[in-house]
Amino acid sequence: MAQFVQAVTLGVLIGGIYALMASGLTLIFGVLRIINIAQGAFLILVATFTWWMWRAIGIDPILAAFITTPLMGALGWVLYRFVVVRIRGQAPSMSVLLTFGIALVIEGFLNVVTGNRFKSATPSYFEESFRVGDILLPKAQVYGFLAAVAVLGVLYLVLTRTWTGRAIRATSQNPSAAALVGIGATSTAALAFALGSASAGVGGSILSVLYPFFPASHYDWISRLLGIVVLGGMGSLPGALVGALVLGLAETLTATYGGLQWSTLVFYLVIMAVLLVRPQGLFGARLREDAA
Amino acid sequence: MRFLSRPHLIAGVVFLALALYPLINPWQPYPQAVLLMMFLLAIQASSWNIISGYAGYVSLGHSMFLGLGSYTAAIIALHTGLNPLWVAPIGGVTAVVVAVLAGSVVLRTRGHAFVIITIALLLSAQILAINLSGLTNGSDGITLELPFWNADFQNIPFYYAFLFLLALTVLFSGWIARTKFGTGLIAIREDEGKAAAIGVNTTIFKILAYACSSFFIGVAGGVYAYYQTFLNPVGAFAILGSVLIVLSALVGGRGTLYGPVLGAFIISLVNEGATVYGGNTQTRVLILGLILVAVVLFLPAGLLPTFQGWWRKRHPVSTEYTDQAGALAHTITVRERVPSPSGAGPLLEVRGVTKRFGGLTAVDGADLTVERGSITALIGPNGSGKTTLFNLITGNMQADAGTIAFAGKPIEKLPPWSRGHLGLGRTFQVTRLFKDMTVLQNVVAPLPDGKLRTMFADAVSGAEASRARDLLDVVGLGAFAAQKAGALSYGQQKLVELAQVLMLEPQLILLDEPAGGVNPSLVGRITSVIRELNRAGVTFLVVEHNIPLVLELCDPIYVFARGTCIASGPPSRIRSDQVVLDAYLGDDWRPGATAVERSLDAHA
Repeated sequence: MAQFVQAVTLGVLIGGIYALMASGLTLIFGVLRIINIAQGAFLILVATFTWWMWRAIGIDPILAAFITTPLMGALGWVLYRFVVVRIRGQAPSMSVLLTFGIALVIEGFLNVVTGNRFKSATPSYFEESFRVGDILLPKAQVYGFLAAVAVLGVLYLVLTRTWTGRAIRATSQNPSAAALVGIGATSTAALAFALGSASAGVGGSILSVLYPFFPASHYDWISRLLGIVVLGGMGSLPGALVGALVLGLAETLTATYGGLQWSTLVFYLVIMAVLLVRPQGLFGARLREDAA
Repeated sequence: MRFLSRPHLIAGVVFLALALYPLINPWQPYPQAVLLMMFLLAIQASSWNIISGYAGYVSLGHSMFLGLGSYTAAIIALHTGLNPLWVAPIGGVTAVVVAVLAGSVVLRTRGHAFVIITIALLLSAQILAINLSGLTNGSDGITLELPFWNADFQNIPFYYAFLFLLALTVLFSGWIARTKFGTGLIAIREDEGKAAAIGVNTTIFKILAYACSSFFIGVAGGVYAYYQTFLNPVGAFAILGSVLIVLSALVGGRGTLYGPVLGAFIISLVNEGATVYGGNTQTRVLILGLILVAVVLFLPAGLLPTFQGWWRKRHPVSTEYTDQAGALAHTITVRERVPSPSGAGPLLEVRGVTKRFGGLTAVDGADLTVERGSITALIGPNGSGKTTLFNLITGNMQADAGTIAFAGKPIEKLPPWSRGHLGLGRTFQVTRLFKDMTVLQNVVAPLPDGKLRTMFADAVSGAEASRARDLLDVVGLGAFAAQKAGALSYGQQKLVELAQVLMLEPQLILLDEPAGGVNPSLVGRITSVIRELNRAGVTFLVVEHNIPLVLELCDPIYVFARGTCIASGPPSRIRSDQVVLDAYLGDDWRPGATAVERSLDAHA
């Protein structure tokens, strides 16, 4: 029983972090209808940078998020303004191919600059745990979880309470109507892309402590994050939260009772099972398509 | 026509040259090895093109099929002692089985789940290959025996095996493009909802296309395993392989027959160059990534289509305008549906149908009956639910409640294409032609039934194509057959859509504003086509705002307001019905009323 509770607790902690990582992806998809395959590469890029700052300057990897988040936001904005915007209005598959290309460029860049080997930031609390009864809560997981929840909360407030957030949500629901009421489509899209990328800033910094990584790990990550988004329903933020929790639980439970090597596979099987019953994902809505 | 045959001629010459090359220059293993890898990549890119080029569903994990084929052949060879070369086709079967299973799960809906699952599948396959070590020998990989032939022959047998497979793949892809199956795939890429409305079973088409795009890669995988004599999970299920496939098809021109092959040859050489001169794999990823970004931004159509566009500009073909005189002289023949649904009772019966969008009830318990052989009209103010009712009848949307019966058969649960196969055709308010397809392809695309024979019928020549040409002549657009549908004017597109729906051999045609945005002489043409078809036995249900036209053409007339039918009857009654006038024009429509108000305003 204690083992089960332990696994579930860990699953929730990991799920929260996954939720943060997937939220950027789902935000970008919701507003821009772009599947940002480069989101995984963003995470690894930030993780590498965080790792370097920790090694070279001694900045705490999780606190490094205060530096990496604005940097990633800026990178996302620049990428949108100068690269992604050029394929606006083209078939959605072009955006998949473009962001796939960006992911490869980042992977290749990291390969050339840092070499093709595993890295991991190991601050002092890396192997310590909080103890609650019988349950061990690794400090790094807890800090990562708290950071993720905080950022998700801020993201939620930005989206629901600010003019910018309303503009983003309006654009995601009906771009042409949003443009008609004075919301600049391009600048809103750039903002959404920047916000989505910024979330990879926090996510990547947390990742650097929790998981060993190397340049090509981004495939693993993007495939997990996309799985979360598909499971929850494309473009749905609550869906991404639930999908992330399912992934976290599937991973820790399989690792506890089956074996670590099967955990990702089990998650993919869960996705397939869900899609079999609900082809649009858990929270995906099918809207009318005739009045587009 | 000359332009059409020229690419085939060039392809034939290139094939001959490649087939002769080892005979002319037999003692050069290196160029042969380079060419061999070019063929392998071309097989994969050309196969990928079927699902991702024709049907537009991008797969980012397509190299999985190569790995599946490799492992299948290697495992069978290991356990049975058979030569991997002879069991390579079984690798193709494995690929097809996996494609059909995965496709049945993720290809049932429209949208983006497919591309995501393809990445997940590739990674899952790798995980399985690592962990099912009893079968695959895990990370250590499988070592195969050396080729059985004399070492003097070097890799020449492999060279020919891959060249042969490439030729088969291209012929297969070319055959698909010529059939109505291929036209249907392009229709799915252009507008999936519309494709379903003209009888394309989009689910089956997509799953089949995915399967077709996997077979030859699986076979090639078996041969490749033997060529390498070694395979392991990381090599067999490498995502970089998928990158090369996607890049090849994109550079050459996806959706074209020879583009992916051309692209594969180029990318293969670039890849080889990057390996030889660029240092290591690391820089290769960077270079390929930069190329991918550059191609998407600056050459999105690919080399071949870009070149073709340039060629057309240099060698323009003149076309006539709408042949109105010719069209008016043309008589219409309606191809009889076999078996023709016969019997008594109305053709279409809608009972208590309701559709809600959130809080808005667009159609509210609507009843409607269309008698056999009638031209029934459906009129009503904007937002009264006419088009939504159309969508419910044709299956573009599912009703929340109520029944719809066609020729006595309940159809409200059927997918759109099955309703099309029963003889229910429609046009759209805003035309939805497949804009990148030619006018002729647009008209050939509809499938009047779900039979395999119809699906794989020739769409370029033969009975289907000549039927389509006849229908184009009927609407006076025969001269535009080879033009892109998107290049036509709005009114012309309306006519093409009418010809398109006739291809479906429908019993009942639903016309959504056939006269909207069409010039008066064309309106005349459209009404006379409707009358002629009606005389030949086709029933019509028409939504139209041109009231004089409706009163002249249709009987009976149904009037819709707020999602339900408020009046029905012959034109003479509808013309003077007070309820109808109020619903259509508002309560204060009478000139007298407005005059009184005006005078009141003046006195105030």
